[in-house]
Amino acid sequence: MADTEKKTEVDTHVLQALDVSVHYGGIRALDGVSLHLRKGQVLGLIGPNGAGKSTVIDAITGRLTLTRGRIVLDGEDITTLSAEQRRKRGISRSFQRTSIFGGMSVYRQVELAAHMTGLADARDDALDILAELDLLRLRDTLGEDLGYGEQRRLDLALALAGRPRVLLLDEPMAGLTMQESMDMAEHLKALTTRRQVSVLLVEHDMDVVFRICDAVTVFELGVVIADGDPAAVRADARVREAYLGSAA
Amino acid sequence: MHSLRVPALLLIVGILVTQFVQSGSLYSIFTQAVIYAIFALGIGILLRQNGLVSFGHALYFGMAGYGMGILLAGSGMPAEAAMLLVLLVMGLSAFLIGLVIVRVPGIAFSMLTLAMGQMSYLLASRARGVTGGADGMGIAWPAQVFGVSQSVLLKPPTFFLISWCIMVAVLLVVSLILATRFGSISEAIRDNEERARFIGIRTTVPRALIYALSAVVTGIAGLLSSLNSGFISPESLHWSVSAIALLMVIVGGFRQLAGPIVGAIVYVLIKDVLGDLATHSMAIFGTALIIVIVFAPEGIAGVLRHWLRRPQTAASANELPGS
Amino acid sequence: MLAIHLFNGLVYGALLIIISSGLALIYGLRRVVNFAHGALYMLGAYLGFAIMQASNFWVALVLAPAAMAFLGVLLDRYGFRLLQDREPLSVMLVTFGLLLILEDVVVFIWGKTNYSIFTPELLHFSVTLFGESVPAYRVAVLFMGVLVAVGLTAWLRFSRVGLYVRAASTDPVTTSMQGVNTDLISAGVVGLGCALAGLAGIVAAPFLSLSPSMGSDVLIDSFVVVVIGGLGSLGGAFLVAVLLGIIQTLGAVYMPAIAVLLPFMLMIAVLIWKPSGLAGSRT
Repeated sequence: MADTEKKTEVDTHVLQALDVSVHYGGIRALDGVSLHLRKGQVLGLIGPNGAGKSTVIDAITGRLTLTRGRIVLDGEDITTLSAEQRRKRGISRSFQRTSIFGGMSVYRQVELAAHMTGLADARDDALDILAELDLLRLRDTLGEDLGYGEQRRLDLALALAGRPRVLLLDEPMAGLTMQESMDMAEHLKALTTRRQVSVLLVEHDMDVVFRICDAVTVFELGVVIADGDPAAVRADARVREAYLGSAA
Repeated sequence: MHSLRVPALLLIVGILVTQFVQSGSLYSIFTQAVIYAIFALGIGILLRQNGLVSFGHALYFGMAGYGMGILLAGSGMPAEAAMLLVLLVMGLSAFLIGLVIVRVPGIAFSMLTLAMGQMSYLLASRARGVTGGADGMGIAWPAQVFGVSQSVLLKPPTFFLISWCIMVAVLLVVSLILATRFGSISEAIRDNEERARFIGIRTTVPRALIYALSAVVTGIAGLLSSLNSGFISPESLHWSVSAIALLMVIVGGFRQLAGPIVGAIVYVLIKDVLGDLATHSMAIFGTALIIVIVFAPEGIAGVLRHWLRRPQTAASANELPGS
Repeated sequence: MLAIHLFNGLVYGALLIIISSGLALIYGLRRVVNFAHGALYMLGAYLGFAIMQASNFWVALVLAPAAMAFLGVLLDRYGFRLLQDREPLSVMLVTFGLLLILEDVVVFIWGKTNYSIFTPELLHFSVTLFGESVPAYRVAVLFMGVLVAVGLTAWLRFSRVGLYVRAASTDPVTTSMQGVNTDLISAGVVGLGCALAGLAGIVAAPFLSLSPSMGSDVLIDSFVVVVIGGLGSLGGAFLVAVLLGIIQTLGAVYMPAIAVLLPFMLMIAVLIWKPSGLAGSRT
């Protein structure tokens, strides 16, 4: 009985973080965290600052080494792989602090990103993403010459290039206006549904989270304190106390 | 095609010079400038593509000469083959060295190259048996190189034109290399190494390749110099030689591939052609360096570009159509 | 003979202590690798020479470093302070530009001939050390090196200003938030660093002749000392300075080329394995 249950779990989860801990310099950034991302799901990650949300993404993408635990992508243990290797296996991320290529044009860098994953039609993929994110008219502009909001979209475009299976987004709406945030959320939902990408979304903007996420996991001080259906999480007393404030 | 514009222009300039200039000594000075220009081009490639400042490229400049000196003295190898061998070995060893040192960031890299350069200088100064020690060694160039007799080859106008054409060819080849996918990859690494890794680029090998390319280009300058003077001494390996070449790169501007060429020309102009100013040439360059770094980081080439053209979009500045 | 060479090695080591500590201090406060340090050493020597023409060695010993200190304060105030938000590499190249200018100034004022300075009358005798006869002046240089080493260490460790300097070196932002005037401290420390370079120059003048290239050689050696000794660690710099002095002097006479290359190989090894001190901007 237990075996078949496990088998189903592995089948439907495209990404799992299993009992992950990241300790450094006396700090326990993550302590025994487990995450399960289903195929095609948009999973929101919320929690106060310093709760470990970005650290989870760093751990999953290989930016940080795990003190303990495993990362499993579609049944394959990728814990010991480098960041470049993980990217080639279809895990992609965006950055909270915009990280783009200033000296290259928009099109060139997105096309390069698509090319690096071994995609045959890198050109078409790049054009498609740029069109969806409304960056096509800026295709020849250098990264460093873009406005803040445009750079955020470019950061996202770089993550989307190459048809990744799993997308980890680290506060993609950071610094955007309300309208820009809503627009980006719509673009995101459309793109990820169309391309069947599974998404892990770290966000502060509660409206966005509860609007586009299928499930939500709540962090506090490096541990998971609640997870599940957005509405249920919103109503959870511990979550309200820790994060949303009792006024929510 | 953009990448053909500058080399073509330079080629025309070179040919024009041979039509109008008569003085042999002037040609000697010009040739010096070209040799330095190629040297600086090598350093410029490293700085432009890897963002690394090398204080030790004189190592490759001098080693080319020493390589020729040693090979032509004992092995009976034809000069043409020796030149090829020297460049090949230089490229390979620079690549291997590069794999180790390109990971060293910032000033640490610069100091490391400074140490490398000084080591080679000390080694060459002391290994009397192999390198002739502090006195240097003569290079036994054969009577004919590439089928042309030395007396014809070394006539100042001829040698100048040959060197100039080699410089233009190097510039062309390097632009073509950098316009390929490899060029994009190395630019991405230069712009944002972390993000480059997160889009799947393994960063060490491309950077080491760029380092090797920069070493080979500088080595070509060294070969020309050794042919021109027939002699090599440890002085060619001293860190001050690297530093002067670096100066040309920065004052000339390294964002433009041809910027170092401008820097070399300016250097030689001030040092050898402007007479009275020449005694204070170092102070002038020091001041120019400071001014450029503080106020005009794009260097002279960058300033020229702003004056001569309308604002560039990335399409014509960085890409070949259809890339 | 070995004892003499060893002694001379220690003397050069003492000189390196004086000049390298200046370099280390400037790096510690301003994160600047001062390429002009060798030129400042040279300027100190030439200034001392000029002052000696008018009066004597002892006056020069005080005035030359003082003049360099003043120069250092100007350098910090109008150079390093204004460039503190730039890439460390850019600032280093600016100091290289300064090196070129200073060398030209020296040649312009004093020409290219080498000059010799005689050791001061007071120290113009010989001392017997371990059965060998050595010039008293050189023993005095040794003492000067020890004095500088001990003095600096004590000052940094025990004085209030020293505490501020150490704090500002480690974390300038927090330190200035505590109300310490970090700009004043920086100017002072850079002034001190340049004074030390000048002091080394005037101290070296009587036994190394003055030439426009004297800065170059010493510069490389002081870089080696500061990198291997560990940036920010004066104690490490002192130890390496002495060792390097001995290796250079003994190496020139006894050892094969390898021995002279050893310091550079070590420097390269340190930079490959622990570049963190010189890696990048101070964030």
